[in-house]
Amino acid sequence: MESRASEPRRPLPVKIVIAGGFGVGKTTFVGAISEIEPLRSEATLTQASYGIDVLSEDNTKTTTTVAMDFGRISLKHELMLYLFGTPGQDRFHFMWHELSKGAIGAVVLVDTRRFDACFAAVDFFEQRDTPFLVAVNTFNGQRHHNLEDVREALQISNEVPMAYCDARVRVDVQTTLVQLVEHALVRALEPTSAV
Amino acid sequence: MVTENRSGEGRLIRPYTITGGRTGADSPPIALEALVKATALGAQIRHQFRWEAARVIDLASSDTALVELAARLDVPIGVARVVVADLTERGAVTIIEPRDGSAGNEPGTEYASLLKKVLDGIKSL
Repeated sequence: MESRASEPRRPLPVKIVIAGGFGVGKTTFVGAISEIEPLRSEATLTQASYGIDVLSEDNTKTTTTVAMDFGRISLKHELMLYLFGTPGQDRFHFMWHELSKGAIGAVVLVDTRRFDACFAAVDFFEQRDTPFLVAVNTFNGQRHHNLEDVREALQISNEVPMAYCDARVRVDVQTTLVQLVEHALVRALEPTSAV
Repeated sequence: MVTENRSGEGRLIRPYTITGGRTGADSPPIALEALVKATALGAQIRHQFRWEAARVIDLASSDTALVELAARLDVPIGVARVVVADLTERGAVTIIEPRDGSAGNEPGTEYASLLKKVLDGIKSL
């Protein structure tokens, strides 16, 4: 009678967003832990369809093409985790909404030589109330900045976790993701201020 | 020349483009990370589709995200979205959409149990 008994359980997709300025190491971060080489996907938006998910390929209006890199990790418990690097430039901000929709949270990668490059990402996730973590990329072995100084400089609230992370190093990336999900979990268990 | 059937029930054939002329605006968009998998029917009727759709059926022999299908087909996400929506309508693929617990759409405890699984999953890598 159980006709579908042999059907294996299908995975549930989950995602985490990796944000930060252009060239900060987002794709490196994704590639350090992804089970596939990071892939690149493109979305095309017309000016007229801004904010609406309409894509018409034969459209002659002005179009904007935005590329994003992503990777994937199969997790146990039948979960498929996708990691999305946000497009770097601010002018691709429109894509961030779609990327962030339903995301567990976001890692904002910071290059301390270019602090200002991550302001847009920090503002975005704060306003959207998306759980996020700020990770100072230590590529070049740089740990010139105390994390609390970085927090001060970026004016990040005390609840937001801060971490060092060498985006090239798998275990660093793994630890950063663990910290982010722990943070998201704490947030999920907080008494809700109902949306 | 195509003659409009006034009852609206007739089948119209038009020189459609890759997306079949659809924009995907009539239904909620398939999430970027939604997992697509070909059905047994899909494999059977594969030959009825244009190459993009046929490739989707091939690529989705195991669960593959919409965004990954787009990347592997080298088409914009919007095109992959329309192709997948069409295949879904035809019963050639099925989709698993993500749960959206982050915006308070689910009771906190249910969402928390999902997050605990994700956490355990990442720790065990």
